[in-house]
Amino acid sequence: MRLQARGKEGEATFKLDVIHSGKDFWGEGVGKYWKQKCDSWICKSVLSEGHQRTVRKVAWSPCGNYLASASFDATTCIWKKNQDDFECVTTLEGHENEVKSVAWAPSGNLLATCSRDKSVWVWEVDEEDEYECVSVLNSHTQDVKHVVWHPSQELLASASYDDTVKLYREEEDDWVCCATLEGHESTVWSLAFDPSGQRLASCSDDRTVRIWRQYPPDNEQGVACSGSDPSWKCICTLSGFHSRTIYDVAWCQLTGALATACGDDAIRVFEEDPSSDPQQPTFSLTAHLPQAHSQDVNCVAWNPKEQGLLASCSDDGEVAFWKYQRPEGI
Amino acid sequence: MAAMASPFSGALQLTDLDDFIGPSQDCIKPMKVDKRPGSGVAKIHIEDDGSYFQVSQDGGTQKLEKAKISLDDCLACSGCVTSAETVLITQQSHEELRKVLDANKTAAPGQQRLVVVSVSPQSRASLAARFQLTPTDTAKKLTAFFKKLGVHYVFDTAFSRNFSLLESQREFVQRFRGQANSTQALPMFTSACPGWICYAEKTHGSFLIPYLSTARSPQQVMGSLVKDFFAQQQHLTPDRIYHVTVMPCYDKKLEASRPDFFSQEHQTRDVDCVVTTGEVFKLLEEEGVSLSQLEPAPLDSLCSSASAQEPTSHRGGGSGGYLEHVFQHAARELFGIHVDEVTYRPLRNKDFQEVTLEKEGRVLLHFAAAYGFRNIQNLVQKLKRGRCPYHYVEVMACPAGCLNGGGQLKALDTPSKALLQHVEILYGMVRTEAPEEVPGVQELYRCWLQGEGSERAGHLLHTSYHAVEKASSGLSIRW
Repeated sequence: MRLQARGKEGEATFKLDVIHSGKDFWGEGVGKYWKQKCDSWICKSVLSEGHQRTVRKVAWSPCGNYLASASFDATTCIWKKNQDDFECVTTLEGHENEVKSVAWAPSGNLLATCSRDKSVWVWEVDEEDEYECVSVLNSHTQDVKHVVWHPSQELLASASYDDTVKLYREEEDDWVCCATLEGHESTVWSLAFDPSGQRLASCSDDRTVRIWRQYPPDNEQGVACSGSDPSWKCICTLSGFHSRTIYDVAWCQLTGALATACGDDAIRVFEEDPSSDPQQPTFSLTAHLPQAHSQDVNCVAWNPKEQGLLASCSDDGEVAFWKYQRPEGI
Repeated sequence: MAAMASPFSGALQLTDLDDFIGPSQDCIKPMKVDKRPGSGVAKIHIEDDGSYFQVSQDGGTQKLEKAKISLDDCLACSGCVTSAETVLITQQSHEELRKVLDANKTAAPGQQRLVVVSVSPQSRASLAARFQLTPTDTAKKLTAFFKKLGVHYVFDTAFSRNFSLLESQREFVQRFRGQANSTQALPMFTSACPGWICYAEKTHGSFLIPYLSTARSPQQVMGSLVKDFFAQQQHLTPDRIYHVTVMPCYDKKLEASRPDFFSQEHQTRDVDCVVTTGEVFKLLEEEGVSLSQLEPAPLDSLCSSASAQEPTSHRGGGSGGYLEHVFQHAARELFGIHVDEVTYRPLRNKDFQEVTLEKEGRVLLHFAAAYGFRNIQNLVQKLKRGRCPYHYVEVMACPAGCLNGGGQLKALDTPSKALLQHVEILYGMVRTEAPEEVPGVQELYRCWLQGEGSERAGHLLHTSYHAVEKASSGLSIRW
């Protein structure tokens, strides 16, 4: 099932986020809120007042009552949901230029944003909906494309044009970069943690997906750690499957399936071979949808409640929904 | 991490440092071109080594000079700020100092420049920690070192800081009293930190500027003292003095190059050159000298009544003590309350602290110290929303303040936190004096400035700020 998500002619949709009930989603470009009614999706709200330029990323808060929108106008708006209406409660300013991504921590008290100004910001929100900047992290040397939080720990990951992934945690009254993952040969566009949070998937302009695993100090596998921070190792590289830049990767929290959004207009799904060694897993390509869209696929997102339901959006201005079924014999 | 971390304060780093220079921002350094009459175009031939030769019609060749952009050119222009500029800035101002000292050696007596070095107490504390000396010994040995190189006088910017503090105190009380007449009188923000000022001018320009204190920083008051007062004393025109300051950060180099601190009349800067603590260390290394091994020399002072054989300092921390001095003065002047000990209350992090003056449950004064970019962010955002509860805020771009500046000496084998604590202790070891009681200060107000609050005092001890408008041409939009 496909949706015409366009407002104006030729507007690309960059990102989408599915609310945890699985029944609403927010598509980006302009800022459109869609709700599922029976089998079709109705656009309930269009928010055109908040931003002056492209809205690049949206994120629902864990409680589902707030939406954050990150924009090229260098601001991030926080919207409060009231049934089908949204009210802008605050605008987070401070980034020097385009904000590329925004993500809520699982606790709901912290928010992270990242920007072309090479920095990652951590914000804290209190009971009165007041947001304050807690830390400005300048570890990356180039444009930061994506930020994502660990599903259960207060651990933040960022992906950058500098070809690295960085991890951050709180230390005393500030945040510090506790790990740098090197290996990709080009821009890292997106990140996704697996359901347990033990592994992190990254996708890149180098046309590979890499899986990284966390090894805490004193781990059984004998991976060396410095101090009390875990080490991260690349345990799997998926190469040769994508013919263009991979813009997004999504790890299904229900089934563990990995979906990718590619610049070759295709969507792919990978599943881990159950018999493979957890320290050196192998993933098989279980679905390949060429021409999923007529242009670059920018984003994929799994429905958090309904197994196999995948949404995608593209430069072609459309949002599409797909039903994925794990092939027999896997 | 492969890349070198920027030496500038966090606040300065985040403003528009970009290697992509849009056409409208191209370097505009005017080059003097000797035009010769004649017809025909010149031919240019490039040699294997990359040098350019102009070939004239008769076959003769002439090597063409490379267009050079010096640090001064770059800093004087507000067009682009590229990483090339940061390279220039970090590239050895101590070499510039050497050039002047070398030139002095071969110049005729009438052509020599009087070289004055003003050392900041923060730089001194950093060197004291590295060489394991007391602040007094460090001051004396540094004096000896610089004089060995050919420097004529070595001063301490703690002296000029007295003026900066006194002017700040006065300015605050005036603005507090004038609140009814102006919505932008308060809060008042300190302006001694150039990282903060550059950020404020570039990012929030016309909004923030009215709140900034107009008092000059200790570095720039020293500029006035050396190039005006001291020059007169020495019977020299200001351009005959080469004034160098030793500072804990690189941002001070940008401050020294501000057009407001350039005298059109004498065609000279108040501060000609800024070297960081690290650059002084390089100078010592290049001379093969260990500071601890030098014989101490007597300390210089700007005026005879200020002579002392040990340095003095101020209360209130390693970033100048603005909050503490203005607070105590305001409490006295505005409410007749004498505050002995100023109590700081840390807020969300150790770089954000507040101080209150209360009487019978009422808050009379509410001050804060905000260091580091994240706290500056929150402060400015609060101000923009009309939710800033403070009357006065001491703002510094570097977390932990000036003692932790980007130009300070780095820890060798101890954790940097331990080094910072050590430097703070050394800094605090120096005997403090209230600015009102420092010998020479009142005298200078009387004789040199012709009174407190005089026009001369306003001109020599204060400055102004300029909003930097962002280029809005289509060429500068990044897609």
